[in-house]
Amino acid sequence: MAMTVDLPALEQTAAPRAVSARWRHARPALGLLLPVAVALGWELVVHLGWSNGRLVPPPSKIFATIVELARTGELSRHILATLWRVGAGFALGVVAGTILGAISGYWGLARRLLDPTVQALRAIPSIAWVPLFILWLGIFETSKVALIAVGVFFPVYLGVMGAIASVDRKIVEVGRIFRLSGPAMIRRILLPAVLPAYVVALRVGLGLGWMFVVAAEFMGASEGLGYLLIDGQQLGKPAQILAAIVIFAILGKTTDWLIEIASAPLLRWQDAFGARGGA
Amino acid sequence: MLALKDVGKTYPNGVHALERFSAEIQPGEILAIIGGSGCGKSTLLRAIAGLDPATTGAVTLDGAVITSPHAKIGIVFQEPRLLPWLSVADNIGFGLADLPADVRRARVAAALTRVGLADKANAWPRELSGGQAQRVAIARALVPQPEVLLLDEPFSALDAFTRRDLQDHLLDLWADTRPTLILVTHDVDEAVVLADRVLVMRPRPGRLFEAITINLARPRDRNSELFDTFKRRVLTALDRSLDRSVRDVTDKSSAGEAMWW
Repeated sequence: MAMTVDLPALEQTAAPRAVSARWRHARPALGLLLPVAVALGWELVVHLGWSNGRLVPPPSKIFATIVELARTGELSRHILATLWRVGAGFALGVVAGTILGAISGYWGLARRLLDPTVQALRAIPSIAWVPLFILWLGIFETSKVALIAVGVFFPVYLGVMGAIASVDRKIVEVGRIFRLSGPAMIRRILLPAVLPAYVVALRVGLGLGWMFVVAAEFMGASEGLGYLLIDGQQLGKPAQILAAIVIFAILGKTTDWLIEIASAPLLRWQDAFGARGGA
Repeated sequence: MLALKDVGKTYPNGVHALERFSAEIQPGEILAIIGGSGCGKSTLLRAIAGLDPATTGAVTLDGAVITSPHAKIGIVFQEPRLLPWLSVADNIGFGLADLPADVRRARVAAALTRVGLADKANAWPRELSGGQAQRVAIARALVPQPEVLLLDEPFSALDAFTRRDLQDHLLDLWADTRPTLILVTHDVDEAVVLADRVLVMRPRPGRLFEAITINLARPRDRNSELFDTFKRRVLTALDRSLDRSVRDVTDKSSAGEAMWW
């Protein structure tokens, strides 16, 4: 019988461990330090009268604007409109990007047929589509959702195609040895292997979705956070612009975090530098 | 019985990797294939596994021609090739997907205990040492109870102690169901410890040079004089296989026999 010699783990002293536990809890707060310090600093500057804060309103004024918008029900209407557009565009872009990316990644012939065209389209700045989309789809929701979907499509397509094409041949061979059928190979080898890259692609796609929703709402909208931006510019209300920006930041971060949370249980196996919190 | 008849392989890029290789391997036999690099050892093993079928000749197992991976042929590669997203237990049970869950669990649990990793059942592959990972790979290949187990330099990436440990362990596992083992190796010591027969190959194109029967009782004592004699015999054959002035010899011989030619 084989013998393995398992050395006992080196005993760490209690003190550093307690410190590191406290440190672990404190670490997320570390990221807040800089923005909070800047906000408090500006608040103080305006409070002391060193600046009138007209063009750059202090945090308290931005907060008051958000509260006011929320009180009248305006805020939720704008947020829901924007969320709906991002959600619909993201869903369309992800579905199209995943399907075409998977086809291109899996079949060499499809890649040779499809990929050059997709890459050529990708080279077009997506905002350049706006006039065409308005002509084709009108100025209402459809053209906005289409623009967002285009923005989401490319990173998802590229991510899926690259991930599938670069799955380790050696791992695929394990599937062949156990005589997996085509669908079983996809389900048991390819899908789990591409999942980490897919999650990254989704997050990049979502980020672009948030970027494009602003562009879409700039092209004539009567509601949405992008409308709040334009409205704030035209009526000279910097606090409203900053309020919309803050809400964009919160929504963008929250939706990104939701993808991260949802995918975390599926990616626990990863042996990556980032997975361990880095250095 | 596994039979190789005039197995040859020419890759699409024109490389002639293997030429007319013939051998018959009895059930339960342990065969080591040894030779310098580029002599077609791995090509031969991949042809037997059905991963890269031979371009000429045929590999047959119990009369059936092997052209694609076969349920009765398992393989362990140089790297463990564990699936990083599956736990150790799920990796071992990977080839048992067709079985009912309870049967699968029982077989996996037995295999885990057998390779001494029962406490690692729920660990991720990344948490294993090199030797442990290779034991999991061996367990994964053995758990579907193949008739033939192919090993492609399975221990070459391990340190000397772990390697020796796993060689003994492999023999131990082999004794359970006595599958045919075909082991490709660079290590003369390993070949003589494990094999009933050592096939020495020579390169360009890869072909059989000499077959040496190791009629030593098991367990083999690595320090015995007879062991050394066999090792020297394999080493001599290896040296001669690389010497272009020596013509091919494919006669079976063993160290005890006189060299009558």
